[in-house]
Amino acid sequence: MLSIKDLHARVEETTILKGLNLEIKPGEVHAIMGPNGAGKSTLGYVLSGRDGYEVESGSVEMDGKDLLDMEVEERAQAGLFLAFQYPVEIPGVSNMEFMKESVNALREARGEKALSSAEFLKKAKEACKQVELPLDFLKRGVNEGFSGGEKKRNEIMQLIMLEPKIAILDESDSGLDVDALQVVAKGVNSQRDGKRSFIVVTHYQRLLDYIQPDYVHILSKGKIVKSGGPELAKEVEASGYAWLAEAEAEGADA
Amino acid sequence: MSEQIDQALARKYDAGFVSEIESETFPIGLDEDVIARLSAIKGEPEWMLEWRLKAYRTWLKMEEPDWAHVDYPKVDYQSISYYSAPKSMKDKPKSLDEVDPELLRTYEKLGIPLHEQEMLAGVAVDAVFDSVSVVTTFREKLEEAGVIFCPISEALHKYPDLVKKYLGTVVPRGDNFFAALNSAVFTDGSFVYIPKGVRCPMELSTYFRINEQNTGQFERTLIVAEEGSHVSYLEGCTAPQRDENQLHAAVVELVALDDAEIKYSTVQNWYPGDENGKGGIYNFVTKRGLCEKNAKISWTQVETGSAVTWKYPSCILKGDNSVGEFYSVALTRGRQQADTGTKMIHLGKNTKSTIISKGISAGRSNNAYRGLVRMGPGAEGARNFTECDSLLIGDQCGAHTFPYIESSNPTAIVEHEATTSKVSDDQLFLCRQRGLDPEKAVSMIVNGFCKEVFRELPMEFAVEAGKLLEISLEGSVG
Amino acid sequence: MSQWLNHVLERASTVDDWLSPVRAQALDTLKQQQWPTRRTEAWRYTSLHPVADLQLQTGTSNNTAEAPFIEGLNSLDLVFVDGQLSTDISKLQLPEGVTISELSAPSEPAEALFAQVKPSHHLFGLVNDVLAQQGVVIDIAAGAKVKQPIRIVNFASAGIESHQRTLVRVGANAQATIIEHGSGSGNSLNTAFAEYDIAEKASLEHYRFALHEGESIHIGGSHFKLHDHAKMNSTLIGYGSQLTRLDVDIEHAGEHAFAKFNNVYLLAPREHFDLHSTIEHASPNGTTEENARGIIGDRAKAVFNGRIHIHRHAQKTLAELNNRNLLLTRGAQINTKPELEIYADDVQCAHGATVAEIDEEALYYMLTRGIDKQQALVMLNFGFVQEMVFQMPNKALADWLQPILKTRFESMMEQQ
Repeated sequence: MLSIKDLHARVEETTILKGLNLEIKPGEVHAIMGPNGAGKSTLGYVLSGRDGYEVESGSVEMDGKDLLDMEVEERAQAGLFLAFQYPVEIPGVSNMEFMKESVNALREARGEKALSSAEFLKKAKEACKQVELPLDFLKRGVNEGFSGGEKKRNEIMQLIMLEPKIAILDESDSGLDVDALQVVAKGVNSQRDGKRSFIVVTHYQRLLDYIQPDYVHILSKGKIVKSGGPELAKEVEASGYAWLAEAEAEGADA
Repeated sequence: MSEQIDQALARKYDAGFVSEIESETFPIGLDEDVIARLSAIKGEPEWMLEWRLKAYRTWLKMEEPDWAHVDYPKVDYQSISYYSAPKSMKDKPKSLDEVDPELLRTYEKLGIPLHEQEMLAGVAVDAVFDSVSVVTTFREKLEEAGVIFCPISEALHKYPDLVKKYLGTVVPRGDNFFAALNSAVFTDGSFVYIPKGVRCPMELSTYFRINEQNTGQFERTLIVAEEGSHVSYLEGCTAPQRDENQLHAAVVELVALDDAEIKYSTVQNWYPGDENGKGGIYNFVTKRGLCEKNAKISWTQVETGSAVTWKYPSCILKGDNSVGEFYSVALTRGRQQADTGTKMIHLGKNTKSTIISKGISAGRSNNAYRGLVRMGPGAEGARNFTECDSLLIGDQCGAHTFPYIESSNPTAIVEHEATTSKVSDDQLFLCRQRGLDPEKAVSMIVNGFCKEVFRELPMEFAVEAGKLLEISLEGSVG
Repeated sequence: MSQWLNHVLERASTVDDWLSPVRAQALDTLKQQQWPTRRTEAWRYTSLHPVADLQLQTGTSNNTAEAPFIEGLNSLDLVFVDGQLSTDISKLQLPEGVTISELSAPSEPAEALFAQVKPSHHLFGLVNDVLAQQGVVIDIAAGAKVKQPIRIVNFASAGIESHQRTLVRVGANAQATIIEHGSGSGNSLNTAFAEYDIAEKASLEHYRFALHEGESIHIGGSHFKLHDHAKMNSTLIGYGSQLTRLDVDIEHAGEHAFAKFNNVYLLAPREHFDLHSTIEHASPNGTTEENARGIIGDRAKAVFNGRIHIHRHAQKTLAELNNRNLLLTRGAQINTKPELEIYADDVQCAHGATVAEIDEEALYYMLTRGIDKQQALVMLNFGFVQEMVFQMPNKALADWLQPILKTRFESMMEQQ
């Protein structure tokens, strides 16, 4: 599904990812954890092709195709979805028209017919319900005046609408209370169908209580330093990230 | 991403074709004889010729205004022809069947079929080609309601008293340089009269087309809404792609008597010139409305064309409780220059005005909002709210705001806000991550920016305006 | 044309000092200027009728005056009476890093500053260029942190025309506080122009009090040039008088400069006040915050023109201007024009202007709480001016000014 090999990437003059490797098979959920500044958000931006995030070396293949060679929108059309940590506001453009353009752009890329207004509306209403957003959110400007929690739920709503092959959730839990967190998790879990893959980027273990990962990876200084099952997240919960520094110090000694 | 936006600025002007139509055109130049000849061709009453000549003599003493934030070579008023009409119009066709098919094809190509059965139901059209009105549709249906909708040249014959009573009452002959010129040489335009208490049964629309070379278009529109009446009027304009600059100096006067309402919408798409600023229309227009008691005038404009725009649709809020509105989208690209805005003159008590102006600058263009809000000493309890937003696309353009606020009544409230922004990289990235190509993304963001104005347009026009914006932005992003 | 200006041109030819070459240039420019009419954009709302044919005594005056005492300010005072410096600079105890000289004595900073910061399009600035023979040149050495405020006091007495000039250079990394304190009453004309050059990482705290009243005419300007990472915080307080016109120009010549500019105008009946401010963002990453607030009394007229100009390369500029006005009576008048001229796309600029009436609901609320109506009005309206006073960094000045402005405001309310 997604194969990341020895990925090095930089922002301006600073190299942030320094040899990242990750294999994701269909239907798998991979959690990426790590301290602040480890490069967690950078990974999402590099994979989605954001300007200013420059790949120095390494490769990323999605379904056997070179992802890094595609434009931002081509990656989206190929089935890559990024749920933003801080979604931007687009004044005046309603959620509804935004999603309609987006859903149909993706359908067109897949060679499918555009949805009729009625079909689209039905789908949109359904998605809103799943993340417990009132329907009038569809009429409001994209993220315009939304609270932090509403923005996060809106991202998941879009995930549900766009049915990607792989979804990257960038700290979709940050700033949420327990109730909102459950709503977000429920929305995500509803999309786990055995084929769709997820990369769940988070600082805290908390989210992983609700979205059960298959694998947990610890990212530090631009590399995955440890991988394991869900139990690894519990370890982090118990001991924090301080051990990373120690492990590194040891590594340096050795 | 700004390079991508820059690329989007390659231009496309769909209305740039020339129609092969035989025309009768005056030689270039302007003097009293030309005005007399023009008036004679139109068979105008004596007083009209007098009125024109007075305007001409006033104009001769006036100087072309230079205060606007635009820069263009001086117009040589003696190198313009002041009258041009399709030859086929000489014996005025009585019905559509008698109209030169080439003319009809021209309008069809522009997306304005003039055969009534093919038209959007509910819109009556007056088509003005160079200096004359070609055809006015749905006249019988309008007459049933008592509504007069005809070329102003015809109104001068059929309803001289009405025209005489109102012409020049809102925009006086010597109001400004271009209005004075128009008063002297206007050739045609539309006349609308809505009787007392009548709600005009359909949208009225005039479609202006400049075709002939070296001609100026000087149309004059007069709309009178009697007490308690209601009308919505639309105006559209295009011109062929030519290397020379052409002059368009129109005057529009609106009279809204007690409790009347006039909604005036414009989609202006005159030829803007090429990317190096060659050619294009100079659009110097005076538009003003007078509101009596409880009356309302609403101006909505979408300005995407013209090389230079100089235009300030205004409201004189004379009657108590009257309302003025101005909603504007002005998009400039290439080397276009626009200096546009409004004047809201509050004279009556409890008068209200709203100004929403959205300026979009791209390429090497300059886009200025210039507005005046005046609260007179008698404007007890009056209110104004103004919002001017500018969007810059690229770093070679300019966006400017020049609002004049004058108040001499302590109970009047004026609020003015202006902001400037750009299409942010974050917005573009979000749209593209959701699968939209950059061009679509920019046009969507710009459309969102203009939403408050678009929703004021009648339905058919709103769609047209959105499309126009999309075409104008085409190539703004690569 | 104006009789008065003709006299200025005549008198200019008699001025002969070390600045003559610069003055000659200014005179050339001045000669090309038209006497402003209502059609001159910069004078659209201000009639120069009171000046046009003015004939006042121009020689030396014998008046003397003490600088107004401000408790706790402890300022170094340079007192001008009708344009003549009455302080003996040689007897002053100057703080470390401060050099003060007279304009009449040739000096390097004067040469670098005179007519170099102030844009040449201000008509009265040019008049001041050709006629102001007296003034002070203040040079703050690089790195000097001068705590003691330096105050330039300008008195204008009845019957006299005077011209005064101030030049200030704040060296790199230096800090200083300068106060321009002007006042006058009676039939007088005083022009006072000041030019400031604020070097890299330097910081200037600035005040201009234009407390001219009655028949006096005061026309002046403060002009600032900010270099890389320079900072200024300026507060301007104006009354009005028969005619007060001030031009303030702030140029962001260097990157990452910061300017805060607050101003207040409080116009008693029949006064006329006109402030034109221009912010030139000529370099990237600059920040400007400007706030103008005015209360206009009966038959008084205020003019505010606030221009922000973002040049082509001044990316990442943040500039905001806010203007609020309150008209006290039907005869009061405000003409405000906040302008934006923007040629760079990656900037955040906004301006707002309001003219509002007294908040009836808040007034009613106060009345129901037993507050006397006059008192309630004072509290409500004066509050928004007071806010600007309290933002002044110098507490001694704020404490001195607040009651003065309040008294003035109370008497404005009574005269309604």
